[in-house]
Amino acid sequence: MINGKAATLCWSETKPLPIDALTEAAMRLPEPFAVIDDHDRIVFANLAFRAAYCVNEGARMTDIETHRVSAETEFRMSGLSFGRRLVTREIKAGEDLRERVDALTGLPNRLVLREALERMLADPQACNESALLLLDLDRFKFVNDTLGHPIGDKLLCRVVDRIRKVLRDGDLLVRLGGDEFAILHASQKQPESARAIAQRIVDLVGRSYLIDDHLVTIGTSIGIATTLFGGSDADRLIKSADLALYGAKEAGRGQFRFFEQEMDDRAQARRTLEQDMRRALALRQFSLHYQPQADIADKTILGFEALLRWKHPTLGMISPAAFIPVAEETGLIVQIGEWVLRAACHEAARWPEDITIAVNLSPVQIAHHGLIDVVTSALANAGISPGRLELEITETVLLQDTNSTLDTLHRLRALGVRIAMDDFGTGYSSLSYLRAFPFDKVKIDQSFIREMSTDKEAAAIVRAVIGLGISLGISMTAEGVETEEQLQGLRNEGCTELQGFLISRPIPSADVAEFLSRN
Amino acid sequence: MQRIVYASRNLMEGSEEEKLQGVQQILAAARRNNTAAGVTGALIFNSGGFAQVLEGSSHELAEIFERIQCDSRHTDVLVLDHCSISERIFPDWSMGFIGTNTGDELMFGAITQDSGFDVSRLAADEILAAMQRLVLEEENL
Ligand SMILES: Cc1cc2nc3c(=O)[nH]c(=O)nc-3n(C[C@H](O)[C@H](O)[C@H](O)COP(=O)(O)O)c2cc1C
Repeated sequence: MINGKAATLCWSETKPLPIDALTEAAMRLPEPFAVIDDHDRIVFANLAFRAAYCVNEGARMTDIETHRVSAETEFRMSGLSFGRRLVTREIKAGEDLRERVDALTGLPNRLVLREALERMLADPQACNESALLLLDLDRFKFVNDTLGHPIGDKLLCRVVDRIRKVLRDGDLLVRLGGDEFAILHASQKQPESARAIAQRIVDLVGRSYLIDDHLVTIGTSIGIATTLFGGSDADRLIKSADLALYGAKEAGRGQFRFFEQEMDDRAQARRTLEQDMRRALALRQFSLHYQPQADIADKTILGFEALLRWKHPTLGMISPAAFIPVAEETGLIVQIGEWVLRAACHEAARWPEDITIAVNLSPVQIAHHGLIDVVTSALANAGISPGRLELEITETVLLQDTNSTLDTLHRLRALGVRIAMDDFGTGYSSLSYLRAFPFDKVKIDQSFIREMSTDKEAAAIVRAVIGLGISLGISMTAEGVETEEQLQGLRNEGCTELQGFLISRPIPSADVAEFLSRN
Repeated sequence: MQRIVYASRNLMEGSEEEKLQGVQQILAAARRNNTAAGVTGALIFNSGGFAQVLEGSSHELAEIFERIQCDSRHTDVLVLDHCSISERIFPDWSMGFIGTNTGDELMFGAITQDSGFDVSRLAADEILAAMQRLVLEEENL
């Protein structure tokens, strides 16, 4: 029944199909294989067949819908009948159709999408009528991690079933990998039609699933590009849809966005900034300034916090608030952060032994596996004792993958390094963070210090946090202290250290020695 | 065995008559499919939304729930409760419908005094209790 050269049709006399092992084997057979009933309907199509069919007709994969129904009819097609010409195709010698099909969902893959895009782009009318949608599942990784891959796999198949319900003849649904999908959607009414299906998919995929006794809820974000705005070659179109997807996720997920030129501009600006940062790193355009930290009792200088400065050759000083997020996004923060650590430790080696150096760590650095080695070697190269280095992290660090984060923090502590919680009060300010890890220090965010004298609530929070620090035996640093009055108030509450203009602005490294001798 | 309780927002449009017809269609499909799958439960409806209890063995329940989830006649499905059970509350109803003999307000009057007409704001046990009571009342009419 199976012909090696051509796609094979089997005409059954509506005999029950063998189930399970045999069906499964037929499903994965490299030859295109289909069973067609007396009414010309496909009652079974294996993966290779689906790929071949899809290749042949450009984009009709989605109307082959299979359901497990019963032992008698293992697969039922969606009731559409296909002309016979669709299902016969010469298969080229040596062509392996398994390369075109995703084994889990039976969907065609990236390769097929690319061919379909090329075909579409060669046809002006198809171009005008097509929209490319890229989908990403929100929280899928969480489901996989917490409930396991078997549930994750079942969930993916359910998601595919739901998406198919929304699509029509002529739409191509592709699994790009992981929890990423693409749809090439054709309609004479674009972009309204793309909008409508995106809306329905967001709704349907976002409804709860009942899988193996687990109630699971995920969402989906969708980016849409049309040739009219999104570009006229396959790469650009995919990139535009991807930028739109990024926009949808940034806007809070569970929604769709069309590509806008502005997104491209912003991406362009980000890329330029990234390149400039790479250059800055190589050309040593970054520098560190040092802000003193003092004992609240007598203003003795205890240490300095290293603060990153960037003097761009044409744009001048660029605020860390403008470039750090991009550095974090691109991962460049790992290299920049390493430079900061080494430079700061090196600087501290020139100071008196009892003066500490504080360095900020980004969540991205904490998640990076090389951190422990970098810290160890920065200390060794500079020849300073680990107890002089204080690493400042923000609360957001504790929001990510908590177990491995805590593990990293403990290993840092084991080196003898001190760990401080930075900007306390700005994020979630969960007091549970203070119990999750034995911090050596908590730094109260400057916004509270600034408002302390005018805002009763801010004052109450400062008092509470200091009280908590005292009872947990953690030293408390007030950031952004500008007046003697603030200092008095903080001292009365029991705060131990301060940092801010009252002591000094951040100063360049050349001025540190003089500053220390003056104080 | 498991039970699931949810509330959802109605998307069917048209006159009261047409909506009730829509509900009748849902009920017919439900009774047909649920009987075959050994799933039981109850459904309440008003012009704003649905609330439904489904009970059955986990595979069949999941199958039916998935169909319902994909139905475009409603949206904003909010699962209020999902738990394992040893006994059914509605053993004899492939899909009991509350409201055939009562008007809209009456139908929900009993359980919407505190929460307006927003079924989704009701707790699962309130819905269950109200359903049980209403089912009994209907049987006695
Ligand atoms: C609020 C609501 C509740 C429903 N409850 C059920 C149900 O309990 N059982 C069921 O099979 N279908 C139920 N349906 C209908 C299904 O969504 C679907 O239309 C039906 O199962 C299709 O059945 P059929 O293929 O046999 O026509 C419900 C639909 C809605 C909107």
